[in-house]
Amino acid sequence: MKRLTLALLPLLALSACKPTAQEIKIGVSAPTTGSISATGQSAKNAIALVQDEINAGGGVKVGDKQVKVRFIIEDDEDKPESAATVFQKLINQDKVLAIVGSYTSKCSNAGAPIAEASGIPVVSPWSTNPNVTKGRKFIFRACFIDPFQGRVVAQFATSKLKAKTGAVLYDVASDYNKGIAEVFRDEFTKMGGKIVGFETYNTKDTDFSGQLTKIKGSNPDVLFLPNYFNEVPLQIQQARKLGLTAVMLGGDGWDNPELVKLGGKVMDGTYFSNHYSPDIDNPIAKGFIAKYKSRFGLVPDAAAALTYDSANLILKAVATAGKADSKAIRDALAATVGFQGVTGNITYGGSGDPVKGAVVIKVEDGKFVFDSAVNP
Amino acid sequence: MDTIIQQLFNAAQLGAVYALIALGYSMVYGIIRLINFAHGDIFMLGGFIGLLLTTRFGWMPFFLLLPLAMLLTALVGVTIERVAYRRLRNAQRMSVVITTLGVGIFLENFVRLTVGPETRQIPARLPSAKVVWLQQHLGAFVTWDKLLIILISLALMAILWLVVNRTLIGTAMRAVADNKDAVPLMGVNLNLVIAVTFAIGSALAAAGGIFYGQAYSIDPYMGIDLGWKAFIAAVIGGIGSIEGAVLGSFLLAGVEVITVAYLSSNLKNGIAFGLLILLLLVWPWGIMGKPTLKKV
Repeated sequence: MKRLTLALLPLLALSACKPTAQEIKIGVSAPTTGSISATGQSAKNAIALVQDEINAGGGVKVGDKQVKVRFIIEDDEDKPESAATVFQKLINQDKVLAIVGSYTSKCSNAGAPIAEASGIPVVSPWSTNPNVTKGRKFIFRACFIDPFQGRVVAQFATSKLKAKTGAVLYDVASDYNKGIAEVFRDEFTKMGGKIVGFETYNTKDTDFSGQLTKIKGSNPDVLFLPNYFNEVPLQIQQARKLGLTAVMLGGDGWDNPELVKLGGKVMDGTYFSNHYSPDIDNPIAKGFIAKYKSRFGLVPDAAAALTYDSANLILKAVATAGKADSKAIRDALAATVGFQGVTGNITYGGSGDPVKGAVVIKVEDGKFVFDSAVNP
Repeated sequence: MDTIIQQLFNAAQLGAVYALIALGYSMVYGIIRLINFAHGDIFMLGGFIGLLLTTRFGWMPFFLLLPLAMLLTALVGVTIERVAYRRLRNAQRMSVVITTLGVGIFLENFVRLTVGPETRQIPARLPSAKVVWLQQHLGAFVTWDKLLIILISLALMAILWLVVNRTLIGTAMRAVADNKDAVPLMGVNLNLVIAVTFAIGSALAAAGGIFYGQAYSIDPYMGIDLGWKAFIAAVIGGIGSIEGAVLGSFLLAGVEVITVAYLSSNLKNGIAFGLLILLLLVWPWGIMGKPTLKKV
C-alpha cells in the first residue's frame, strides 16, 4: 500500500500543478443521501443540466479562450459535520474555484467559515438563515432570507386569511426552522395578530401529539410549520387526527414533491411561501422547466431552480472576471446587477443577500398552485 | 382542561409502542444477560416489512397483515441469533455487544440501500374516524386507529404474559432466566428456548414498528433513537422483568407527554430523563427489578 502511494505521488503532484486553463472545477455540496436526499437529487439534476448546457457551447469564456466546466458533487448528508468535511475536500483536494452549496442553513453555516478563510466564493442556493452570509465576504446566496419569508407568511395570514390567532410548531435544533419561526411570531404580533402557541420539537422526533394537543387547546386560526417536507405531512396528519382545524402554513422547506407523496389528501388547502412557482410567467423559467421535465420527468422544485441559478451566477462571474481566479470571481459576483434567473432577477447590493421577491403557493389536489406574489 | 384526557391517550399510544420494543430488550436480557442493541433496528425492520406487505398486497386485511409481518420479523430475529450471536454465547461479553451493534448498523444500511432513505408512512389500514363516545363523554378527540393501537398492544402484552406464565415453553424460559447453566442438565433444549425468546421479542417489536408506521412514520434510522428510549424504559422498569418493561414504557411516555403539555416542549427530554435518573437513584434495580448479588 505504501509503495503504491509513493508510486502515485509524482502523478498527483503533476495533476495538482497542471495549469487550470484546460478545465474549470466548481464544487457542489448537496445532501444526496440522508433525510432530505430528495433535495440533493434536485440539486444533482439541475447541476447536470447546467454542465451539459455550458459544455455544449464549448464551455465558459475565460479571457479569450473557451474552457470546459466540471462540477464535482459531494454528499454532505444534511449534517453540519459532513458539510465541513466536504468543503475542506473540495477546496484543498479538488482545488475548486467556487462552490455551490450547501443546502440547509445548518450545513452552510458549517461550510461557510472554511470557504471564507480559504478565499473561495460560495453561492448557497437554499440557505435562507441570515447568519449564513453575515460578516462574510465570499459567501453569497441565490435565495431570499428568513426575515423576509417570515414576514411574507405573516402578512398572508393576517391580510388574506384574516387570521386573528396563530400558533407555531418548529424544530428548535435547526437554524432555519428556528429563525423563521421567531420572525413569524414577531411580525404576526406586529400586524395585530395574537400568538397563542409557540411549541418546539427536536430533529428526528416523530411524535408531535403532545405539542399539537396543547395547541389545539388554544384553537388558533392558523398553524405555522416552518419545517422540512419530510416532517410537515406527519405533523399535519397528527394535528388533524387530534381535531385541530387551523389553516396550515409553511415556508420554502415544504417545496418538494415528497410533501404530497407523503401527505396525500391531508396537504390540500395548505399554503407556503416559496422562491418561485412553475406557473410563473418568465421565459427563462419556462425554458428551464421544459428542459428539466423532458430530461428527468419531474417538475423542478425550488431547490432545483435555485441550484440552476446559483451555478449560472458563478459561471457568469467567471466570464466577467475573465480569469480562473477565486478572488476575481468573488469580486465579479459581488458586482452582479440584474442577473436574470429562473427564480427572478438577482442583484447583490453590497452583501451576499440578493434583493428579490417571493411567491405564496397553495396545495390543491396534490398540486402546487401559484396563489400570489410578494415583493420586498 | 379537556385536553388532559386527550394527552393521556397520546401518552398511551406512545407508551404502547415503547413497551412492545422494551419487552424484547428485557426478555433477551433476562434469559442470556445480553443487551441486544440491534433490537431497535429489528423494530425498524418490522415497520418496513409491514410497509412492504401493505403496498404489495393491498387486499390483505390488517388482522392478517399484522401477524404475517410479526412472523417474518420473528424469522429474521431467530436467524440473527443463530448466525451472529449463538457462537459467541460463551465469548467475552464485549464481543457480543459489539456484534449486536454491528448487526444493527447492517440492518439500517440494508434497508437504506434496498428501500431508500426517505421517511415513509405505512398506508392507513385502521379506521381514522374519531371515537364519538369518547368525545361526548370525556371531551377527548381520539381516533379509532389510536384506540385500536393501544388495545391491540395491550392484548399482545396480555398474550405474552400468558405464554410466559402459563405454558411449558414459558416455564422453560423462566427456568433459563433463573439459571442458564443448570437448566440444560434437566433436559431442556437451551437453544430452542433462546430461539423462542428472540422470536417473541422480534415479533412484538415488529408489531410496534407497524403501529409506529401507522401512527407516526418510519425511516431506516428510527430504530436508534426509539431503541434507546425503549431500552431506558426497560431499565427503569427493571430489566429482565416483563411487567417492569411495560410499566417503565408507559411511565416514560407519560412523563414525556406531560412535560410537553404542561411544562415546555423545549425541555421534553431533559425533564423526562432527569426524572428517570432520580427514579433510578431510589430504585437502582428498576421499579420491578430484583436486587441481585453478583456471584464472583
